[in-house]
Amino acid sequence: MQKIVVPGEKIADAQLRLDDGLVENNATYSTVIGIYDDERKTLIPLEGLWYPRRDDRVVGVIEEDKLNTYVVNLNAPYKGLIISKFVDTPLAAGDSIEAMIKEVDKTKTAILMRPRRLAGGKVMMVRPSKVPRIIGKNDTMIKQIMDFTKSTIVIGLNGVVWMKGGNVDLATAAILKIEEEAHTSGLTERVREMLQKGAL
Amino acid sequence: MLQENNVMGDFIKDLLQKGKREDGRKAMDYRSIEIKTNVMPNAEGSAEVNIGHTRVLAGVKVGLGTPMHDKPNEGNLMTAAELLPLASRYYEPGPPTPEAIEVARVIDRGIRAANVIDMEALFVEPEKVWEVFVDIYVLNYHGNLFDAGTLAATAALKSARMPKVEKNGEEFTVIREGALGKLKTKNIVTSCTFGKLFGSVVLDPDGNEESFMDARVTIASDENVVRAMQKGLGGSFSTKELDGLLDVSFEKSRSLRNIITNAAGE
Amino acid sequence: MAGGEKPVLIKDGKRLDGRGAEDLREIKIIPDYIKNADGSAYIEWGNNKIIAAVYGPQEALPKHVQDPQRAIIKCRYQMAPFSSLEEHGRTGPNRRAIEISKVTKEVFENAVLIDYFPGSEIDLYVEVLQGDGGTRAAGITVASVAMALSGIPMRDLPYSVSVGKVGESLILDLNKIEDNYSDADMPIAISPKSNDILLLQMDGNLTRDEVRQGIKMAQRAGEKIARMQREALKAPYERIAERYKK
Repeated sequence: MQKIVVPGEKIADAQLRLDDGLVENNATYSTVIGIYDDERKTLIPLEGLWYPRRDDRVVGVIEEDKLNTYVVNLNAPYKGLIISKFVDTPLAAGDSIEAMIKEVDKTKTAILMRPRRLAGGKVMMVRPSKVPRIIGKNDTMIKQIMDFTKSTIVIGLNGVVWMKGGNVDLATAAILKIEEEAHTSGLTERVREMLQKGAL
Repeated sequence: MLQENNVMGDFIKDLLQKGKREDGRKAMDYRSIEIKTNVMPNAEGSAEVNIGHTRVLAGVKVGLGTPMHDKPNEGNLMTAAELLPLASRYYEPGPPTPEAIEVARVIDRGIRAANVIDMEALFVEPEKVWEVFVDIYVLNYHGNLFDAGTLAATAALKSARMPKVEKNGEEFTVIREGALGKLKTKNIVTSCTFGKLFGSVVLDPDGNEESFMDARVTIASDENVVRAMQKGLGGSFSTKELDGLLDVSFEKSRSLRNIITNAAGE
Repeated sequence: MAGGEKPVLIKDGKRLDGRGAEDLREIKIIPDYIKNADGSAYIEWGNNKIIAAVYGPQEALPKHVQDPQRAIIKCRYQMAPFSSLEEHGRTGPNRRAIEISKVTKEVFENAVLIDYFPGSEIDLYVEVLQGDGGTRAAGITVASVAMALSGIPMRDLPYSVSVGKVGESLILDLNKIEDNYSDADMPIAISPKSNDILLLQMDGNLTRDEVRQGIKMAQRAGEKIARMQREALKAPYERIAERYKK
């Protein structure tokens, strides 16, 4: 059985190891608004923040061009850093980039690698907790959006989405729909219907 | 984060060059406008205005005070605007910023110049007049606070009740509840704000457009004449551009006045 | 406590607005009220109308306010100058608002898992658009909902309510006029999971027993308030899920 839980709500009379759970007095409580599945013992946050982790793909904006590093705004409490000497073509403040997180240092600053400048197109923000659903299992959801809209789409786990070319308006609408309905089942099918109609 | 973003700027610029806007509007279209009056019944008057995602609340309080020296037979009007820090990531708590003061003063000038309030009806006795406080609370920022604020303020004034005063000897008691009349108003003022960005001029710029805007002009008018204007930011308008905008603002003001009359239940 | 002639606050067991001693005023919570905020909600609690909004966590600035161990919470409670039925209020924080901001902040320093976000800050704004007594309690209650919606992990969803005394009777959830003429007022905030007390203030006169009873009274009412907070958080999701149920 799946149910929606809120912070402070008891989800089990046992000690469960859950990212968004909290164990107190031999019971486990949710710390977020989320869906708890008591068969699979999973807690999927519906509202949640993004914590930088190694190998996360992110989309950000260059905030500052310092002597040896670029400071990247990741729309999160923590910044990203790019070591300038590993960048072939210089970047400038205001540029959008995609990159991978190489490591997260003690201050939770994300050291980025393989930055790629994103030129043209548009950027939109989504709630980071909805990103896994927008990407879909084995990328199914995002692939179907790209197929129908012919847009190039880069999704950062930090909740920043860049898209370019094709039917950007339709791609935006599809992403907004997934964001709103992320917790429902049969979503891939409904998004496909929407894209089919919209692509006409 | 969108604000400092070159991608967003280029995206909006490309659209404008094709005569389009991000939300599908044409250059001289407003976003949808919704208005509700008497949303805060403790205040003598109130109105909430939504222009797209911009949400503004105006509250009107009426109290007793002393007249200005140069206008001993008229009441007072005090207009303030608060860009609440909950309305935007970019607003900070603290004393009013120059931006907030500009918004308040432009709205104030329109209301005053158009004689929206019958100021002489606020006279009580020598050295005693009613004071009208208009507070404009920005609850969610997404561009064009001038027009949203003017709509909210005018609608709140048009629907405001008028307290009564009782005098016992030298003591005045203000009665704010029970059977009360309405605040006397004489006119309606509305404003149209245009933004210039990447060389194009648009009506009702939204928050994304405003972050790339380099010139702004607000034209407040009633049915017949211009009542207040304010050009803002470092860019400029040509005389020809302004010519055209004057006509657009009069054309648009008709439907804005209707929105206010309907909302105030007249 | 206000001057002037004291009105009869309780007659035949009923209060001025018709409530019994332990009745709450009507409460309605609307989630996601401010589009720009990371989390927000609006509450109507009797004639109180209050917005709470949360921004963050984000890098704490200026840098010297950063705490390397945990997030700092900044809270601003404020009453709109048009919020009361009386005179136009003054703008800007007064001593009362600064104190309420502080005790509200401290409630959330407990409820929020601040050690997850070292060096960052969480901004909480409580704007009272219309006030009719008990605004700090309603403000904390709605701030809990806003905080949860921001996705910031929380130990619990605190609620708050006030208990007062009129003559010999304890009453729950004082409105403005009761607050003005009551013999005691005791706002309390509680973490419902443990029933622990996160905020406690009081002025007037209460016996030790009345304090104990008052806290129990608040906790009984709290079951209802906590349920409303949870429903407000779940309802939008359930509504959408319902749409697609076969």
